[in-house]
Amino acid sequence: MAPVDDHTLTDLDGTDVGMAVPRLFGSVGLLAGAVIALQIAVMRVFAVGSWSHFGSLVVSLAMLGFGLAGVLIYAAGGWLDRHGRAAAGVALVLFGPLAVAANQIAQIVPFNAVFLVSDPMQKWRLIANFLLYLLPFLAGALFLGMVFRQERGRFNRLYFADLVGSGLAGVAILGAMHLLVPERLLVAPLLLWAGAVVLWFGARRRLWSLVGAGLTLAAYLALPGLLHLPALAVSQYKGISYARNFPDARRLYRSVSPYGDLQVYASSYMHFAPGLSDNAAFNVPELPPDSYVGLYLDGDGPSGIMRQIPAADTAYFHYLPMFYPYVLKPDARVFVTQFGGGLSAMTALNAGARSVTVAEANPEVLRAFRAPTLRAATGGILEDPRLRAVGLDGRLYLARTLDRFDVIDLSLADSVGLSNPGGFAVIERYAYTEQALMTYMRALAPGGILAVTLWNKEEPPKSVLRFYATAAAAARRAGGDPARSFFVASSYLSTTTVLYKRGGFTAAEVARLEKQTADLSFDEVYAPGYAFDPNLADGILAKYRASVFGDGTSAASGDAPADDASAAPPGDGASGAPAPEPSTTLARLAWHEEMSRGGPGALADYVFDIRPLTDDRPYFAGYVHPGDLGRTLDRLDVLQDDWGYLLLWATLAVAALTVVPLIMLPVLLGGRRTVAEGRGLAPVLVYFGCLGLGYITVEVGLIAWFARALTNPTISAATVISGMLVFSGFGSLAAERIVTRARQILPVLLAAIALALAALPLVLPFALATLGTLPIALRLLGTIALVAPPAFLMGFPMATAMTWLGQAGRERSFVWAWAINGSLSVVGAAAVPLVAVLYGLSAVLYAAAAAYGLAIPAFLVLASSAAPLTAPLPAPT
Amino acid sequence: MDRRTFVAGATAALAAAALPPPASAVVPKPYDWNATPPMDDRQAFIDWMVANRGEDPLYLGQRYDRFLQLIAHNDVWNDRNKRAYLMTPREDFVTKPNLSRAYEWHYLDIGYGVSITGPHTVMRMTNTIDPQKGERVLEVGTGSGYQSAVLANLTDQLHTIEIIKPLYERTGGVYADLIAQGYTEYQAIQRKNDDGYYGWEEFAPFDKIIVTCGIDHVPPPLLQQLKPGGVMVIPIGPPGAQHVLRIDKTQQADGRFTIARSDIYHGSIVNFVPFTKLVEGKIVGTHSN
Repeated sequence: MAPVDDHTLTDLDGTDVGMAVPRLFGSVGLLAGAVIALQIAVMRVFAVGSWSHFGSLVVSLAMLGFGLAGVLIYAAGGWLDRHGRAAAGVALVLFGPLAVAANQIAQIVPFNAVFLVSDPMQKWRLIANFLLYLLPFLAGALFLGMVFRQERGRFNRLYFADLVGSGLAGVAILGAMHLLVPERLLVAPLLLWAGAVVLWFGARRRLWSLVGAGLTLAAYLALPGLLHLPALAVSQYKGISYARNFPDARRLYRSVSPYGDLQVYASSYMHFAPGLSDNAAFNVPELPPDSYVGLYLDGDGPSGIMRQIPAADTAYFHYLPMFYPYVLKPDARVFVTQFGGGLSAMTALNAGARSVTVAEANPEVLRAFRAPTLRAATGGILEDPRLRAVGLDGRLYLARTLDRFDVIDLSLADSVGLSNPGGFAVIERYAYTEQALMTYMRALAPGGILAVTLWNKEEPPKSVLRFYATAAAAARRAGGDPARSFFVASSYLSTTTVLYKRGGFTAAEVARLEKQTADLSFDEVYAPGYAFDPNLADGILAKYRASVFGDGTSAASGDAPADDASAAPPGDGASGAPAPEPSTTLARLAWHEEMSRGGPGALADYVFDIRPLTDDRPYFAGYVHPGDLGRTLDRLDVLQDDWGYLLLWATLAVAALTVVPLIMLPVLLGGRRTVAEGRGLAPVLVYFGCLGLGYITVEVGLIAWFARALTNPTISAATVISGMLVFSGFGSLAAERIVTRARQILPVLLAAIALALAALPLVLPFALATLGTLPIALRLLGTIALVAPPAFLMGFPMATAMTWLGQAGRERSFVWAWAINGSLSVVGAAAVPLVAVLYGLSAVLYAAAAAYGLAIPAFLVLASSAAPLTAPLPAPT
Repeated sequence: MDRRTFVAGATAALAAAALPPPASAVVPKPYDWNATPPMDDRQAFIDWMVANRGEDPLYLGQRYDRFLQLIAHNDVWNDRNKRAYLMTPREDFVTKPNLSRAYEWHYLDIGYGVSITGPHTVMRMTNTIDPQKGERVLEVGTGSGYQSAVLANLTDQLHTIEIIKPLYERTGGVYADLIAQGYTEYQAIQRKNDDGYYGWEEFAPFDKIIVTCGIDHVPPPLLQQLKPGGVMVIPIGPPGAQHVLRIDKTQQADGRFTIARSDIYHGSIVNFVPFTKLVEGKIVGTHSN
């Protein structure tokens, strides 16, 4: 193989190094695609086997493989001039077997989040999982990095292949999710990899390439069976594992799609009645034992699906919290914003609703309900003449419909509520934001009722307080008299129901709701005219803070609340009216403040962050105030509900700590002057760091933004990633036209990018509102159309500057820049959700705009330190 | 045999192999309901237990250290319940990999997606229902068997139901071994492998019910099988942050039943965090200091 140096690069057209351009570009594109497909597939493996946010942690850290590859390539230096192509071939070949081996071994040493705190082994297993999955990504990154280095004079074209390949793979894996079950999903990245191998090695070694790829795929598919190993180890603590442990459990249905792995199990051991009043025990006959089947999504659940129950048993519904609005509106036109397992719809039908419109954004759920195998189990509910199902997100549907409803229900959209042992992933909950509630309120007929039921199982309470603040804020903006418009009742450590009536409740209506509350033995939290006793709330906020972040000694020292227990040990029976539970008092205080002060009032000092959900901050997560983060480490057990959020901080910390040595290692290895090749380090560091941070921030941020219109995080991710990467690829390709004039043009482009990004938060809310009402195909196209312009521009800066470094003969800076870019992408990906939770999704885009803005001076310094580039570009091939 | 069956079987076999071997020592003295170990001195406690129960001083020391923390956190507050804690060898109910952590604050994995509840929650629940000797107690979710073992020191009318068959069988083996060693108090534990949702009609009504499995509502059959004036406790929330829900059933003058939900500490805000640190048997501070 001919040595390649800077002088021959510009006239390379591929044939010089023994490889045709289409093959070179093809193998780069396919392997880049395989990397992104593997990323998504591993996330799915985690989502189904354990909990998705640990998958995010492992995968985002595994992407450090790109930074590490940069360092290794840097260290190899001139050796790669002679052996680069062979080394790249080895890395390419290893990607597939390493992916298979890493995934299989990870299934043998699964990590169990439930015992992260109590079992010291678990953190080693988590680290083992990270190191295992790092390997294939490192191999892929080494291949790409070595090829880039080899072909640095035409970096922008290879980068085009890399980006377009990655982008198209995003679409491909979305399609693959329809065909492949999660335990077989790695087939998709492996096929892309096999394609890359076959192209790379060409005709002479085609047979060997095919045999190697075939063996790898065969190993992936057959090894678990041959060795009796799990293809995908599902945690015993996942909802679905319990169902499988029931002796009479049988799977009735399974479908896989980008909407998830949906499975339905039947067992006489399943019992559902979310939030059922305890009083039902003495007023309702026992339901037949086979009344339910359980619906699981990615192994989480179950959501109960109920058979049609005998007419004599319908009193059952009266004791469910979602029955509340029908106390006042028995023959209502009802809208159910999330169909789920169908319990809300069934409650409405049994209450005597005139019509029930149900929305379900997950088409697979509706398909399951229509499947012949499930007809008996679902009682054919979708065939009820009073019921109409729309395959759309409830909020998006209500935003565009002209119909008005007497009751709008949003009830217990999450199956088992806030008892997920792995904690909750930080995901956007656009159905619960202030803007969503305003949409629901506007869709109410005069006198109509919005009824929202949430799980109330946290102690100290967090999500319910956040929701109360959201509901109150929405009502204030919707007009009318909020103080007369709400009725709130909860059941201790069970559920809470917020009723909002358009036009306000009459005294007679309040009385009927209070009677229902008494019938159910629920606690009234707020009603028009409710007299709140401030004495009960005395010191409650300080006590809650002490209960979480106080030092444990106070319990022993005698002044702690828990000490009351020894003074008056439980078990002495009921004597008079019992004092309300502190969490109930806190909820009452929250409503009192919201209604009397028009804001959180005293609750602003609560131990947790309970600011309302808005479209900009749509999270039931991130309750721990940033100032308290340092105090969380020795009490993680208590904060399990917020683990998803705390893990993001852990990810960011690990990423940041790893990135610093990765970036500084080349400097230490070669000395400052060597890396900078006689010029300043800072411009390279700042410029490529800003690009790495900026690009990933936009990408991850827009995935969250577009989830509002696309209603599903996986589909949003695949569409946004594909749209952005493909159009950035074209930007990269076009970049060669400006390389020689980069000093003049690139600052303008960077400014344009920064401005475009800063404008997005102003434009997107309107664009998404319109987009969300279109059919799915148009939504996907609209998403791509919206991301395309900024993405195209964002393709220029990296490609231009890298090509320029490559052509200027600054090989070391080139490799270092690539490592910086890759490393800071990891930091950016970890930081985005944190910025979003703390400051909002707009702030994410502003941060990205700032990063591109900061790149302008860095580039000017970088460009001024080099001679103007006049060398001709490679001729288009 | 399909793969799932194989995997399940293999898991069960592995889990069984993971259990600690039965202690070689045999309880030297027969169980005596009135015999109580010393509670205010660590060494005296260990000596008494070695002499009367033949247990390993290593675990006895750990048990006593945890005992002091239980008291400091008000997780046990009367002598009968303190005795029940001290008399129960928790180390025999955890799996082998967790032996060294048997007396730590945390819940621990025992296989099948089930954990052995941490000692603080176990004792908080136990002392809340405070069964008197002869009172009929139902436990839903036998799990490791530790909770029932503690209760067996408080009442001789104990019924426990486990839904997962291999776990039911494994725990049966643990009890059989311990009974063979002389832990005769466990003979009173009546067990069945069934769906605890429906309670145990044959022995109903119960004075006290203790539920240790997660569900989205309190099973009506259990509320029905609870005696008027009876108490039920259910831990709610993720395993580490479990809050104990207390349910009181009372009968009104007109014959109607009412159910009251409360926290076991009667409206106090509980300190959730086990921070007190032990140095030489004294509580000296917190992890944060």
